[in-house]
Amino acid sequence: MTTGSVEESQLTMLEPQPTSTRMLDWVSTLDHKRIGIMYILTAVFYLAVGGFEALLMRIQLAFPNNTFLSPEMFNQLFTMHGTTMVFLVGMPVLTGFANYFVPLMIGARDVAFPRLNSFGFWMFFFGAALLHFSFLTGSAPNAGWFSYVPLSSKAYSSLQGVDYWIIGLLIMGIGSVSGAINIFATIINLRAPGMSLQRVPLFVWMMLMQAILIILALPALNSALAMLLIDRWLGSAFFDPTRGGSAVLWQHYFWIFGHPEVYILILPGFGMISEVIPVFSRKPIYGYTFIAASSVAIVLLGYGVWAHHMFAVGLGMYADIFFAVGSLLIAIPTGIKVFNWTATLWGGEIKFNTSLHFAIAFLLQFVIGGLTGIMFAAVPIDWQLTDTYFVVAHFHYVLIGGLVFALFSAAYYWFPKMTGRMLNERIGILQFWLWVLGFNMTFMVQHFLGMMGMPRRVYTYADNPGWALLNGIATLGAVFMAVGTLVFLWNIFKSLHSGKIAGDNPWDAFTLEWATTSPPPPENFPVIPEVKSRRPVWDINHPEYADWKKEKTPEDKGRRGNLAKIAAWSFIASEAVFFLLLLVAYVVFNTKLMAPVGEASSPETLSDVTSSVLDVKRTGIFSLFLITSSLTFWVAERFLKAGKKSAFVFSLGLTILLGIIFLGGQVWEYTGLLSNGISINSDLFSATFFTVTGFHGIHVTAGVIALFVMLLMGLKGNLSSEKTHVFGAVGVYWHFVDVVWIAVFGIIYLGLLQ
Amino acid sequence: MSSYFDLTSSLWKWDSPIWLLVLTLTGMYFLLQRSTSGKRGAAFSVAMLALTLAYISPIGVLSDGYLFSAHVVQHLLLLLIIPLFLLLSLSESAMESLFSRPFMNRLGSVMAVPFLGWLSGLGVMWFWHIPSFCNASTVNYSLGIFRDATFLLAGLAFWWPVFSPVKRYHLNPSVAVAYLFSACLACTLLGIYITFTVISVCPAFASPVDRIGILNLLYDQGLNPATDQRLGGLLMWVPPCSLYVTAIMVVLKRWYADIETVPTSQTTANPGSLREAHQ
Ligand code: HEM
Ligand SMILES: [Cu+2]
Repeated sequence: MTTGSVEESQLTMLEPQPTSTRMLDWVSTLDHKRIGIMYILTAVFYLAVGGFEALLMRIQLAFPNNTFLSPEMFNQLFTMHGTTMVFLVGMPVLTGFANYFVPLMIGARDVAFPRLNSFGFWMFFFGAALLHFSFLTGSAPNAGWFSYVPLSSKAYSSLQGVDYWIIGLLIMGIGSVSGAINIFATIINLRAPGMSLQRVPLFVWMMLMQAILIILALPALNSALAMLLIDRWLGSAFFDPTRGGSAVLWQHYFWIFGHPEVYILILPGFGMISEVIPVFSRKPIYGYTFIAASSVAIVLLGYGVWAHHMFAVGLGMYADIFFAVGSLLIAIPTGIKVFNWTATLWGGEIKFNTSLHFAIAFLLQFVIGGLTGIMFAAVPIDWQLTDTYFVVAHFHYVLIGGLVFALFSAAYYWFPKMTGRMLNERIGILQFWLWVLGFNMTFMVQHFLGMMGMPRRVYTYADNPGWALLNGIATLGAVFMAVGTLVFLWNIFKSLHSGKIAGDNPWDAFTLEWATTSPPPPENFPVIPEVKSRRPVWDINHPEYADWKKEKTPEDKGRRGNLAKIAAWSFIASEAVFFLLLLVAYVVFNTKLMAPVGEASSPETLSDVTSSVLDVKRTGIFSLFLITSSLTFWVAERFLKAGKKSAFVFSLGLTILLGIIFLGGQVWEYTGLLSNGISINSDLFSATFFTVTGFHGIHVTAGVIALFVMLLMGLKGNLSSEKTHVFGAVGVYWHFVDVVWIAVFGIIYLGLLQ
Repeated sequence: MSSYFDLTSSLWKWDSPIWLLVLTLTGMYFLLQRSTSGKRGAAFSVAMLALTLAYISPIGVLSDGYLFSAHVVQHLLLLLIIPLFLLLSLSESAMESLFSRPFMNRLGSVMAVPFLGWLSGLGVMWFWHIPSFCNASTVNYSLGIFRDATFLLAGLAFWWPVFSPVKRYHLNPSVAVAYLFSACLACTLLGIYITFTVISVCPAFASPVDRIGILNLLYDQGLNPATDQRLGGLLMWVPPCSLYVTAIMVVLKRWYADIETVPTSQTTANPGSLREAHQ
């Protein structure tokens, strides 16, 4: 993770490697464009898999009382279909496009962390493979893509399917966060001179927003998954109401991740549309600032509306009202964007090609999906329609009608850049109509089915009036979409062979990716073009109409920040959310024992129980060791900067020693508890206690290892003073671990908040 | 519900001493800011109106021992609305000259340190909702006044780095966004805690003393202590966050309008870069 890796990766690319095969070339690549393509291809593969699963379900549902699939099989299929489409298609294909295009669009020669990037890809790749291994055990996950407890708990899902689901998602989650940190740092740090953040193409801006969402939302899922895994494997009862746990907590955690997740999926789609529409209207985008700023609002509000997925739970009237209002609020910045895109088209010199066809269909279909979303925000409507096909219609309108159409639009737009050849327009239009027809046939009718009360996720239905017809139409539509996809693949193969040669900039487009060859060379740009506005390539190609002559945009002040620090801070931001939610779980489960509101609290309060098993004083002393280690670390950093090697080694060594002493204290405490028969599955206190302190211990251990590596580097003299920022980044992490401990100590040992 | 708006009912407290403060502030304002623009005058009126309502309207009466949720609304007015509009009502030039004096300048820069503003803004919220303090300040009149004063001052400190009339104290935009977003996160945590906890955060409200005989009315409207606390938690969470998001939009608008005619000038008068310079 050094800044030097940029040059290194270029060398690996440029050097001929006589012994390696083409395959090995790809597998070992650090080139962001190749990694991008690998993401996209893997996603397309899983699109086929998930699409096939969908087709099977549609065949089953084509007729009433059909027996093509068993109920058990149907459950596995809708679970794997949903999981696949969200985690194995939607997220990676977007990360793929981001990988390929973000560096090109900001005029960078590479991404910030090529190795981290490749790590992220392979985590995704193997996580996805692992998930599909579950089929070989004969029981794929079958509890739905949100795996609600108690269905997903050991008692009701005793086979390994859910375990594969958890582990697969955890691995891919780590990969996604790594990828997002890389994209985030790339955009913040590697922009070409002149490219102020206020000038980046909107796709880049949306990917920046998406990276923030991923960094801060995925840890919520990870913490929930960790707790579910501990429930399943170690017998704790976080989510088991019969033993004092809370099934609703799973829903909260899942949707704290889940709602931001839908924006993780759609914001990049917005970005793509915002690139395509201006180019084919021959105009700059209308209201750049509004689109950019309102996505910030979406990111922020997106964290506050999760409970609209839980209206049927019974959260209480006031909670329902607030979450309903929040959901309506978030629809505003989402909705007004549609006007921006329309206004961009308005009066433009429209080039109505396949890409723009898909973009305009996106607009119309996304509006429908947005409107049904607003309907759901009204609590009583939700109560009526939740868990029916109306929900299925809503999210497919935003996810297929929105995201997938945006992806097709982007594919037609960027394929020439990626391959050097144009996709065939006539085949493209054929694919477009197959998709528009198929998609609307399949999902429009599901609105009606939902209103008639057809429940989602049930393997068959009775022959109610009209249901057979509507379901038949839906299935036929799915066939159209499948054929459309085959047409698309055919188009790709044909065009790769004999498509029109694209040239550098076939669309006379505006942004920097078009200022280099198609496909771009490994180093992206021979010379980095000059950036003086939001449409640098337009400015270069049409100097007489250059944007910067007409409209001023904020200048680049040249601030870029330090890569290692950016990575460290974004990583700990992610970790902080993870620990925060574990601590919230602790508080939730350990205040329950108190008297309810209004009654005098009983003497048997929890803090008595706690202090009876925890030796607060002893742990307090060990905590002092950890906190002191932050101090010695700080001293070590000073010495490193001052170039005093032996003092540096001494204080760093002391830091490590203090960290190890703290860990020793934890081992002592654990053995004491375990030998007293208190283990993670004893009760909710012990479960939350061991989970929180255990994860913290793991982090301290990781920190000690990192410090140790630093110490070795210091001893060997590899830690030159210009590498102090790497050391500083480790320091950010180490201080963070300490801060977390202070919170843990306050909440668990001192019983604050109880 | 008509009784809330019945100005003669006991839910309105017309003889509140808050008038004294309002009058003093208004006097001072017109002395200091003779030539005030309409916008600023309006901002000032909003601040004064909010201040008055916080005490004389049912918000003030109910927050005095009856409803936790009203008590939260009062906090929000004192901490967020009134200081914000007060800052917006101050004219740039008058404040510019006031804060050009060395002492005032120091004060202004200290208040512009984001950590302090953040800590005071969020700190008062957390501090005054520790059950024993919350209770004491509700039961004890003068402690209550002290608490309200801390809310006002903390609010000024909180908004200063974002909306100070003197531009040089503004945080740099990315820091300002982080400042406001983390503030939203912190009040979300407190709000969620109060909403979902089964502990009575402010026991004084759990068994109100029925001073003016309206308890039955409240209970009839479903505002029993548990619901009331839940509502209070939600109020502590959603409205401030919405306000912070709005403020973030304002910051972004400034950022996008940040067009300088001199391209390469590294503006060092910026407190954000001041902080970096320290590191
Ligand atoms: C216009 C603003 C939107 C609002 C107000 C909204 C509201 C809602 C609500 C209330 C539900 C819960 C329905 C239920 O289960 O009873 C829901 C479900 C869903 N929404 Fe939206 N939505 C909006 C936009 C979006 C977007 C843009 C996406 C994705 C790109 C999306 C994806 C989903 C998904 C995937 C579900 C179903 C999750 C599941 O139960 O499996 N929504 N939406
Ligand atoms: Cu949602």
